[in-house]
Amino acid sequence: MSPIDSAIPYYPVNDFGPLMKGLVIGGVGILHVFLAQFAIGGGMLMWYFERLGQRGLEDARTFVDGYFRLLVLVSFVVGALTGVAMWFTTIQVGARTIGLMIDEFHWLWATEWVWFAVEITAGYAFYRCGPRLGGRARLRLLALYAVASWMSLFWINGILAWQLTPGRWLDGGGVWAGFFNPSFWPSLLFRTAVSTTLGALVGCIVINTMDLPRERRAALIRRAARFAAPIAAMPVFALWFLAVLPGDSRSWLLGGSMPMTMFVGVAAGASFLIGGYAVVGLILQRLYINGATATLLLGLAFGATAAGEFVREGARKPYTVRGVLYSTSIRPAEVAALRRAGATASDPYPLRERYPTEQLARGARVERALCDACHTLRGANALVELTRTWTDDQLRLNLAKLQRTKGFMPPFAGDAEDVEALVQLLRWERDDRPAVAAAPPTSPEILAQIARWLDEAGTAPASDPRGAVK
Amino acid sequence: MWPFDGSIGGPVESLWLALYVASFALHAVLVGCVAAGAGYALVAAVRRSADPIAARTRDWLPFLLGAGITAGVGPLLFLQLLYQRRFYTANLLMGPRWGAVVPALIVGFYALYLAKASEPRRRLALGVATACFAFVGWSWTELHQVMLDDAGWRAMYAAGARFHGDAAILPRLAIWSGAMVALFAAVSAWPAAAAERRRLAGLALAGLIACGAAAAAAIALGGFDPAHGWTYLLIAAAVTAVLAWAWTARRPDGRGLTVATAATAAALIAGSVVREAPRLALIERDRATAVGAGGLPVFVVTLAIGAAAIAWVVRTARGAP
Repeated sequence: MSPIDSAIPYYPVNDFGPLMKGLVIGGVGILHVFLAQFAIGGGMLMWYFERLGQRGLEDARTFVDGYFRLLVLVSFVVGALTGVAMWFTTIQVGARTIGLMIDEFHWLWATEWVWFAVEITAGYAFYRCGPRLGGRARLRLLALYAVASWMSLFWINGILAWQLTPGRWLDGGGVWAGFFNPSFWPSLLFRTAVSTTLGALVGCIVINTMDLPRERRAALIRRAARFAAPIAAMPVFALWFLAVLPGDSRSWLLGGSMPMTMFVGVAAGASFLIGGYAVVGLILQRLYINGATATLLLGLAFGATAAGEFVREGARKPYTVRGVLYSTSIRPAEVAALRRAGATASDPYPLRERYPTEQLARGARVERALCDACHTLRGANALVELTRTWTDDQLRLNLAKLQRTKGFMPPFAGDAEDVEALVQLLRWERDDRPAVAAAPPTSPEILAQIARWLDEAGTAPASDPRGAVK
Repeated sequence: MWPFDGSIGGPVESLWLALYVASFALHAVLVGCVAAGAGYALVAAVRRSADPIAARTRDWLPFLLGAGITAGVGPLLFLQLLYQRRFYTANLLMGPRWGAVVPALIVGFYALYLAKASEPRRRLALGVATACFAFVGWSWTELHQVMLDDAGWRAMYAAGARFHGDAAILPRLAIWSGAMVALFAAVSAWPAAAAERRRLAGLALAGLIACGAAAAAAIALGGFDPAHGWTYLLIAAAVTAVLAWAWTARRPDGRGLTVATAATAAALIAGSVVREAPRLALIERDRATAVGAGGLPVFVVTLAIGAAAIAWVVRTARGAP
């Protein structure tokens, strides 16, 4: 049978060494989100400054022409390409997830693409011809650029928010129920506020590089700082976002999972510092901000973005699309069949490494199919370290009742022999891969016990798709 | 009209295929101009000739690459609807070596800016950019072949091989290289003066001849597929383009350029269908979720708005003094 014909799609799995796959996609994703949001806020800021320039503030127009070159060179190039990189990286991490997103939302994705094309065209037209155009054409081009870039956010935001809160789409509500899902609006408003703040901070850095007397730079900074004002509303959007999250996800962010809670704290703390400086210092006190401080705040904003994206990704666990697809790229409805047939019975891809016993080879295949998306054996989020001190029976129990062991883990999608093979693999790895496996053959009693634990845990997740813990 | 008549699945699949071919052709024009244009500008820089075609090309290359990448998102989207499992599997099999196309494009992009801004570094920058684009073109051709070779996936994965040595890769690359030169010439000839058009006509003829020779080699390797007549249309369009370019070389101010451009465009569309024909049988058909997905009217309206907006932008930019 060709790999293309299996009922459940099995894709080849790549090993990124000590790097957890989530770190790979996180690194690319955070950079992309940061640059793309800067491009949106930057577009809005330029339209505003162009308008100021045409109403008599000459320095504002000088700023627009200088700032725009930076925007083009950074956000167009790296932003556009990291967007493509996101696509490729997502395929590496969760091909089935991106496939489902494409299947469900391809027309909306194509709509987003049209807006992106308008954004790029308007942007380049301004870049090439802006200095030679009249005021009205300049203003219109910048307005078109700003609107198109925000529309790009509008469409992609709905698709990303759907992954976390599919809402009425789960009841067969169709593409619009999925798109305008519960976290659509808070997420869109939150990201818009982030965008304008990033635009303002980069604007302040650029203003500090302009060859102008300090008081004229200060006048420009006061105007740019207004674009950071929406950050004051971010706590409201964040609380709104928290309120519409599924109950289990919310509980992890609010103390149920300390790493998640700490990332929430980092995002909130950094945003508070930026917001406090921008609103109190720059807007109310009308303070001057030099380039170094603005750069520091921008660095904090990057940290807040990184932490926020980590929280958004982590809150989806154990799913990549809530209620539909686990992070293992297995659908909830497929777990029962895999419990009967085994996790890797249909996996067409061989192992690249040799193992001393068949059981260890099976364990390696199970690890690749069920664990590799979020864990490594010895690197980041290492299974060997997470389970090092567990006894064998404890390991068997915890794997068999995986969704009960940790609420953000999916149910184990294999049979008793898969559990035992994985247990033996982890012991063998813990013991630094002895040439001959020390474990005696697994007794039928142990397999029967594991099977009982699997049955007790059932095939359903710990929480229902809307987040109520069972 | 085949293959857009529902014969490859249903009407939705036909629409995806039509949009795939159309967006792929647009993407091919832009990246063709970038790859061949970077090569042309590199040759001019090495020869230290004050070539106005090279100067204009250098000036437009960063924009053309940005537009080419943006236009590439369209076919990338529809490709995932038509051949999802194959595309993802090929991505994963080639792994990080496939992902290297992104940093290669970033390096190529900044190299184009550098070539535009710095004369002393121009040759190096254009050399780097051309190498980057050649790598990306080779990678795409290889990915295309990996997608087709499902019988070899297991062995490729087991061996941890990131390269796919397929006999069809070189002829395909050669076909595309020739076509890219012809596309570059067709786009660059419009703002060119008479003497420059003659030179571009020669370049286009060389590209088309190289393309034809490589296609003959590919046919010898893989057999002739009339693709329901599209291959004959491709041949007719290519022959017309050759004659029109010859006419343009003799009379640069005549209508030869219009005919050559139209024939090149027709050849590109026909060539895109011919390229697709062998794998149409591999389109994944039972995709109920994707076929039933909503949002098409919004896309159509947005496409109309977007096309109007882009037309307005172009008109505004052309009206700049």
